[in-house]
Formats: sequence, C-alpha cells, structure tokens
Amino acid sequence: MLRVENLYKSFGGIMALCDVSFRVEPKTITGLIGPNGSGKSTLFNVISGFYKKDKGDIYFEGQKIEALQPFSIALMGIGRTFQISEAPQKMTVMENLLLAPKDQIGEKIVNVFLHPSKIREQNEKDLQKAYEILKLVQLHDLRNEYSGNLSGGQKKLLSLGRILMFDPSLLLLDEPTAGVNPTLIKDLVIAIKKLRDEREKTILLVEHNMKVISEICDKVIVLNFGKKIAEGTPEEIQENEAVLEAYLSGSARQRGANGNS
Amino acid sequence: MGIINFLVYLAIMMAIYGILSLSLNLQYGFTGLANFGQVGFFCLGAYTSTTIVLVFKLPFILGLLGGMLASTLFGYIIAIPTADLKEDYWAIVTLAAAEIIRIFFLNESWVVGGGPYVGGAFGVGGIPQPLRSLFSAYTYPFFYLGIALLCLLVAYLVINSVTRSPFGRVIKSIREGDNLAQAMGKDIRKFRIKVMALGGAFGGLAGCLWAHYHGFISPEQFLPLETFLVWAMVIVGGKGNNKGAILGAVIIMAFYNSTRFLKDYIPIEEVTLASLRMVVIGVLIVAAMLFMKEGLIKEKKTIY
Amino acid sequence: MSFTQIIINSIVRASELALLSLGLTIVYDILGFANFAHTEFAVVGVYLALFLNVSLGLGIVPAAIIASVLTGIIAIFIDRGVFKKMRSSGGIIVMVTSLGVAIALRNTVRAIWGASARNYSVALEKPIITPYFRITPLQIWIIVIGLAAMFLFHLLLHYTKLGKAMRAVSDDPELAQASGIATESIITYVWFIAIGFASVGGILIGMETYILPYMGFAIIVPVFCATIMGGIGNPYGAMLGALVLGFAENFGLYINFGQVLGIEKIFHISKGLFIPTGYKPAISFVILILVLLVRPRGILGKKKAG
Repeated sequence: MLRVENLYKSFGGIMALCDVSFRVEPKTITGLIGPNGSGKSTLFNVISGFYKKDKGDIYFEGQKIEALQPFSIALMGIGRTFQISEAPQKMTVMENLLLAPKDQIGEKIVNVFLHPSKIREQNEKDLQKAYEILKLVQLHDLRNEYSGNLSGGQKKLLSLGRILMFDPSLLLLDEPTAGVNPTLIKDLVIAIKKLRDEREKTILLVEHNMKVISEICDKVIVLNFGKKIAEGTPEEIQENEAVLEAYLSGSARQRGANGNS
Repeated sequence: MGIINFLVYLAIMMAIYGILSLSLNLQYGFTGLANFGQVGFFCLGAYTSTTIVLVFKLPFILGLLGGMLASTLFGYIIAIPTADLKEDYWAIVTLAAAEIIRIFFLNESWVVGGGPYVGGAFGVGGIPQPLRSLFSAYTYPFFYLGIALLCLLVAYLVINSVTRSPFGRVIKSIREGDNLAQAMGKDIRKFRIKVMALGGAFGGLAGCLWAHYHGFISPEQFLPLETFLVWAMVIVGGKGNNKGAILGAVIIMAFYNSTRFLKDYIPIEEVTLASLRMVVIGVLIVAAMLFMKEGLIKEKKTIY
Repeated sequence: MSFTQIIINSIVRASELALLSLGLTIVYDILGFANFAHTEFAVVGVYLALFLNVSLGLGIVPAAIIASVLTGIIAIFIDRGVFKKMRSSGGIIVMVTSLGVAIALRNTVRAIWGASARNYSVALEKPIITPYFRITPLQIWIIVIGLAAMFLFHLLLHYTKLGKAMRAVSDDPELAQASGIATESIITYVWFIAIGFASVGGILIGMETYILPYMGFAIIVPVFCATIMGGIGNPYGAMLGALVLGFAENFGLYINFGQVLGIEKIFHISKGLFIPTGYKPAISFVILILVLLVRPRGILGKKKAG
C-alpha cells in the first residue's frame, strides 16, 4: 500500500529523518512511536507532500508520489490530520465537514450558476453523511459552533470527522487521541478498528498512548533521532531493548532540558 | 450644486465603490488575499472601456464587458506567478502591479487615441455617456444611478452566490492557512487565481462606471489612495460579509463626500481638509482593527 | 552621462535605500509583520527636521539628529498604543493595521505642512567636478553616513548585549523569552533604531531632492524591493538588496535591451531599445516581481530555526 525507501530529510544541518524505510500493508493499522522530536511528524509531512524529501522514495499503491503537490497526494487517497489540529476560526464544525468531500460540483464558479440544483442535491447527500459522522465523533451538538472555539480534544475529534468525510484509502492520523476525554478514547479506538475491519481502510498513526497502540496496532514502527530503531508487533516492541533505552534516555534528556531553563 | 443633485451623485459613488468593496471583500474578507492594488483593476477597467467606446466608437455595453474582461485577465495574470506567495509579499506585489498600470497610462497616450493634450498626464475627456441624448441634463444622473445600482445588484448577487457555495467554503478555509485545504485535496493555487480573476472582473466594472459617469479620466484619479478607501470600507463594514462591504462603502463615501462642504462653514484650506479627511480614514482602519475586529456587520454563520 | 557618474549616482541611491531597508527588515524580523507605515515614519522625521531647521533656525545636522530621535520615540508610542495590542495576531492583521497608521501619518504631515514641495535651509555647496563625474559634498556625506550606519549596525548586532538578544529573539522568540530575555524591551529598542535610521535616510533624500508629504509612498516599493531581494528579515541582505537596486534603477535606463537580448538585427531597431525615462519608477516594481518569482525568499534568504 505505502512503501517508504531510504528516506532522508534535514533542516539546516539537523537530520530529521535518516535512512527510514518501511511498508504499510493494506487493511492494517500501523503505529508510529518515538520520543519527542524523533521525526514522526516530519515523516507525515514528507509522505503527504507538505515537506520535500532530500533523498529516498515514497510509493503509494505502486506509484511514486514524492514529487506531487500535497493536494494531489490527498486526491490519490492519502488523507492526513495534523498534530496541531487545523480548525478555522470562522468556519462551523458542519462547514468543516462539508469542506472535505472530493469532486464537489460547486467548487467550480460556473457551476454555481449553471447547476445550482445539482449542487443542492450533492450538498444534501453530504449533509446526511456528515450527521452520521458527527454522531460518531460526538460533535453533533456542536455542529454550529465555530471550529476555532473548540477545545484541543474536540479539535482532534473534528480532524477525525473531517478525514472520515474526505474518505481516503490511507489515513495518516497524528495523535488522534491527544487531549480527548478518556471515556471517549474507548469509542475512538472502536471506531478506528471498525475503519479497518468493516470499511477496509489502512491506517498509519502517531500515538503516545501505549494502551491505544497495543490495543489496535497490527504493527509498530519506532523512530529515534530520525532513525528507525525497531519494527514489530506491539508485544515485540514492548520487550525491545533499544526502544526502552530510547524512551528512558529521551525522558532523561527532557528532564535535563527542563532543569536548565 | 443642489441638494438633490448632490445626493444622486453621492448615491452613484456609493454604488461604484460598493462594487469595488464587494470585490475586495471577496479577495481579502473571504480568501485572505491582501490586495493593496485594488485600484489597478479600477484604473484598467476605466481606461479599457474608454478606449473601446471613445476610440473604437463601439457601444457602451461592449466597453463595460471589455473593461471587465481586461481586469479579469489582469487579475488572472498577476495571480498565476504569485499565488504561492505569503500574504505580505502578496500585498506589496499587488501594490506594485497597480502602480505599473497607472505608470503605463501616464506614459502611453496613444491607447486613448493620442493627439495634443490628450492622454498621459493630461487625462482624456469627452468619454461618451450611454443613452445621454434621451435625457435632459437634470434627469440623466437619475438614469445613470439606475445603471450603477443595477451593476451593484449584479455584483452582489454573483459574489454572494459564490461565497455561499462550496467554492466559498474552500476559500474560507484557505483564509487562515494553506494546510487544511491542501490536506482535503483542494488545489489552493487554482482557487486563489479564480478569486483574483472574479475580483478583477468587478473591480473593472466599477472602473467602467466611473469613466462613463465623469466623462473624464486621468492617471491622477487612480492613486493608491483609492485602494485605501476601499480597504476602510471592507474593514469598517465587516470583512467576510457582503452586506457589510456595501454598508462600509455607503458610510465611507458619505463621510468622504459630505465633509467637503465643511470648508463653506469653517475657515480651512482645501488641502488641509482633504488631509484631515484621510487622517480620519487611517484612524478608522486602525480603530476598527483594534476594537471592532469584525466590523459593523459580522460574518454570517451558516446554520444547519 | 558618463559611466563613472552612473556608478556614483547608484551608490548614493543605495546608501539612502539601505538606511530605510535596514529598519524595515529588523521590524519584520523581530515583530513578524511587513510594516507599510515604515517609510511614512521617515516622512515624519523629514518634516520634524524641516520644522527645527527652517522654523526654529537650527543647523541641519542638529535638526536631523533631534528629528530622528523624536521620530524614533513617536514610533515607540505608536507601537505601545497600537501594535503592542496585536502581538498575538497574525501578520496579515498587523500589516493591514500598519496601512491605516501609514495613511494617518502621511496625512497628518500633509495637514500640518501642506502639500507643496519644500526645502531645508542649507547653503548650496559647490559640486566637485572632474572630467569623469561630478559629485556634491552632500552626496559624499550620504555615502559616508550610509556606510557608517551599516558598520554601526554590524557592531550593534555582534558586539552588544542588545544585538545578541535581538539575534536570539529572531532565531527563536519562545526560547528567547523562556531564557529570560525581555522581548518587550527589545521591541522598544528595535522600533527606535529602525525608525531612527529610516528618518535619517528620509532626511538625506529630502536634502538631495526636495520634501513632499508623498515622498514616503514614492519610496515604499523600492525599499520593500531592496528588503525582499536581500531576504526579508536579514539585515545584511537588505544592504545588499539596496546596492543591487541602486544600480538597477540608475543603470536600467542606459541599457540597450535591443543589444542585450540580441533582437536589434532582427527588428532593425536603429536607435536601440531603451527603457523610456517615464518608466523609471516602474523599474523597482518590475524587479520586485521578478525577484519574488525566481527567489521568493530573496537572494540571501533567511533560515528560521524550527
């Protein structure tokens, strides 16, 4: 489904990704973990075309995608969310969802005047779908609230709702449960599993919550300092020496940094 | 000038600037494109229509369409290479582009027919007014007001339908950054270019109406000052709201034109008065940005 | 005009532009917005100097110094009253606000001093005339002041506490704040330096030509062009941009584009293909647009951490 080969990316001398290779198999959930600053979000940004890679190749369903614009990559079927959720100040939750569907007739100016009834029909269909998704992510009551006014967790839910509306075949989810109410996380976990099992979606997700990781992931990839240090099932990863070390030194590093400031 | 004449004049100005304001609101209010060269559309529309009607002796309606087409093309062309630029670069580029247009008409008198004392810095007069022979000097302004209001109505209906459509949803999402729209598979370049083209069309229309109303145009009339007036209209009236854009035009034009009579009542020089008027406009922009971020009419929420 | 003469004119222009561009670029760097009121602040300095020089009879040098200090202080006050309240707003909001400030400043000047051209009261000094060029003592001063300002700025940036703090804030504002650098007080200094320099540049332009309320707008595009060319936010780039633009504006009119493009023979243009004089103001506009197309981040560019 997704194949990343020998990927490099640096920012002004700092290696953010160094020789990263992995595969994501269809209809699986792959977790991406690693200490802060290990390159997880950079990897998402390179795959989705928001950053240009330095070296290496990215294939999606057999096609090279790294030279494409972010919007073309999205249209090929790779949808993503952002670590800091995008939530326009002056668009309601419902408008956010209605923005997502592909091939909207009404996105062409001439059609606004030539085919108003077709636009209305399409809008009606999208609206039905949006109501279902809003119930799933529990934002139904907030549908007319400006997305800029939502809490951090609600924005995460909105991102998830929007990407479901966009309906890609591969979903890149950046910390989908961060800041989300713990009781709701359980529902989210069920929903994400359903995406794989019932709707045959493929998912790559960055997640800090190890409980979530071990519950839903088929495979886990661990990054540290931009390098892939381990890959395997959640059980294998939890017993991996290198991973434990990375996390321990990572947290030591953070304590050190906090102590200095 | 009789009070009725003045009011009709004022209403025509409100309609013309209302169109300019709607156009800038589409660009800035909805899409976040800070066009500091809005007057470029206005100037290009005015000159193109003048050339078509005065030099080629074609009917007014063709002048109107030609002016709109020229400004549409200009908006399109300026947007193609700049669509990826950051907003501050965009502002200075559009400002520069509008000045290039003005400098072009300042230097090239042949575009309006040429001849001694015609074109360039002299300006060009004798621009025909549509159906002028059917009316008396007194009734003609009423007729022209009708034309101007009709154009304003068309501009409002078109821009309002566009901003309420799925197209409008996409440009609103672009307003606060590129990421979201791109992640949702929208080609933001294309949307920006289209916005500039549509904004250009109506900016040009306003220019045509201006030229054929006054019968005289010169590069002096298309200084960046005009752009700043239109900005004040959008910001005071309410960005992201089409009714607000028109209300802004009404308020700013009423203030701008009626304060002219102050010099009949208080001893003040014309230049000083004109300057003070612009000080107020500047302060209004700052005050609105500080204390009334949404303007007089807030952006409308679509309720489901 | 002789080749040497064009070079001298270019360097004079570059010095003036550099004084203005430096300030624009550091305000952008530290405060994160394109200040459209920058050149209008310079005009305030120009007219304050006019007032001190002509109305109060001060010599031009003390008048220029006092005026530039006062203008720097005015800038600090406007920052406190307006821009400080929008520190957390996006660049576009602050930029539009600066447009309002620009309109208000320019027209305040015009309301007080009128719209007609004015001059400082300075004795006309004899130009130095050689077979190759002529240069006025004032033009020599402009070049010297321009170079001195750049050198001073370099010293400030690298050898003072303030300069180091400015660079820290520029590289990473949050980190700078976290490590106890008082960002607000740096912003105060930045305004003072930026607008003080701009005012000096404006006064020099006013001395070389004449003084008009409109002169701020007349130079805004060249100043932005020089700044962007050097990579907005990069002070050394702004200096380089000013130099390139100074040369481009002055050489632009003397380049035979027929010859350069090799189309002279094809179209039989006997008189050569030159940019008409009327288009001189458009040169910087066109360069600006070209620069943004080819290198949107300018010649030197600027790397931000993170």
